[in-house]
Amino acid sequence: MYLYELSIRDWWEDLKATFILNFIADDRYMLLVKGLGNTFLVTLGATILGILLGVIVALVRSTYDKNITDMQPGFGKGVLITLNKIASAYLTVIRGTPMLVQLMIAYFVIFVSISQHKTIVAIIAFGINSGAYVAEIIRSGIMSIDPGQFEAGRSLGFNYAQTMLYIIIPQALKNVLPALANEFIVLIKETSVSCYIGLHDLTKGGEIIRSRTYTAFMPLLAVAIIYLVIVMFFTKLVGILERRLRNSER
Amino acid sequence: MSADHLISVKDLKKHYNGGAIKALDGVSIDIDKGEVVVIIGPSGSGKSTLLRSLNLLETPTSGNIYFEGEDITSKNIDINKFRQKMGMVFQHFNLFPHLTILKNMTLAPRKLKHESKEEAEAFARELLKKVALQDRADAYPSQLSGGQKQRIAIVRALAMKPDVLLFDEPTSALDPEMVGEVLDVMKDLAKEGMTMVVVTHEMGFAREVGDRIIFMDEGKIVVEGTPEEIFGQTDNDRLKTFLAKVL
Repeated sequence: MYLYELSIRDWWEDLKATFILNFIADDRYMLLVKGLGNTFLVTLGATILGILLGVIVALVRSTYDKNITDMQPGFGKGVLITLNKIASAYLTVIRGTPMLVQLMIAYFVIFVSISQHKTIVAIIAFGINSGAYVAEIIRSGIMSIDPGQFEAGRSLGFNYAQTMLYIIIPQALKNVLPALANEFIVLIKETSVSCYIGLHDLTKGGEIIRSRTYTAFMPLLAVAIIYLVIVMFFTKLVGILERRLRNSER
Repeated sequence: MSADHLISVKDLKKHYNGGAIKALDGVSIDIDKGEVVVIIGPSGSGKSTLLRSLNLLETPTSGNIYFEGEDITSKNIDINKFRQKMGMVFQHFNLFPHLTILKNMTLAPRKLKHESKEEAEAFARELLKKVALQDRADAYPSQLSGGQKQRIAIVRALAMKPDVLLFDEPTSALDPEMVGEVLDVMKDLAKEGMTMVVVTHEMGFAREVGDRIIFMDEGKIVVEGTPEEIFGQTDNDRLKTFLAKVL
């Protein structure tokens, strides 16, 4: 009995000591806080860049799909074909190679000159990657709108761009908002590979602690829990958003 | 050039698959101001294609369409300008689901004609009163019945103060009990002198409201005439067969 209590107490004391060693001593928790900040920064920046790129690519691709068969040969058609080829190549390359490889190419090959700004390189790399997935989400949103909506817009006298802007895009974005929010959630987790370029994100924060304290369990568990809590929080938010959207206009 | 007709169609052709399918095979018609022209015919006869060609929602393979004297099939023309004067009502209403009824009606006048919000809304409310839907101005399309949606679609087109209204089977997607309310609105418009081109299966409407009836089959106009001529004793076999099926 006495021995048993002792062992529990030992285990508890041990746990406390490891906790203090990993997080409290030398203010090591700050490594996680700083990392979390960078994780959010990269995710947010990449999301904005991704949506910008995604909308542009989606517009090119859906404009091509909708119009190319009816277009008269000429300058406009040539431009559209070229733009669509570029957009398709972008989607193929980005979706056909691993994120980690893209990130390393960005860091060690393309942006060597600004390699001290790891956050910026990461934002660009993740933004370009995310843009490819966002583009396909938005394109599916645009293509899912009833062609009658487009005809109604045109029949009132709106040109192609105005019809897109006032009638198609607002409906498309609304339809794909949950999918876009999910892309954001996926991105939060994906940014963890940025510790490969030495960026101090959340995962790297855990790694630094591990390398200093020679204990793996606590820091990695802490990192996992933080990711999980963030993802659960945003998933919940998306759920609320989805319900709101479903209830509106009914 | 053909300035005396509101719309003048000359030898219009629409071919698919390099001529294998002839949706329109040389159609010529003139439509005058204030006229109600009803186009009837079996499905696949090209009547919807003809109507949709009038505002170039379908691009014709060859032929010309003159609207208020100008060839709108010409390459140098800004079709959007002309479409503002040609309202269109669709079989499936095609209201904008993300906008309220009032916004559905004021979007085009405000963005294209740069009307002020007050001006556009005042006219929209006036139109809503005409179709007895003034209390639904702030509703969304999904909150309306089919008949109400189609009445809104008609006044949305009217909000642009068009010179002609094109109707593409406006009652075909409606429950039978809602057909009447839409046809009544169209009858009122006809009485007010609105120029209308109507593709429909409502023979009662065609007979009562139509100034002229066009019977199409296989991409061609087969018979053209007053309701009396079409629904009276006709000696055209194809028209007889068609009428026997629908009447």
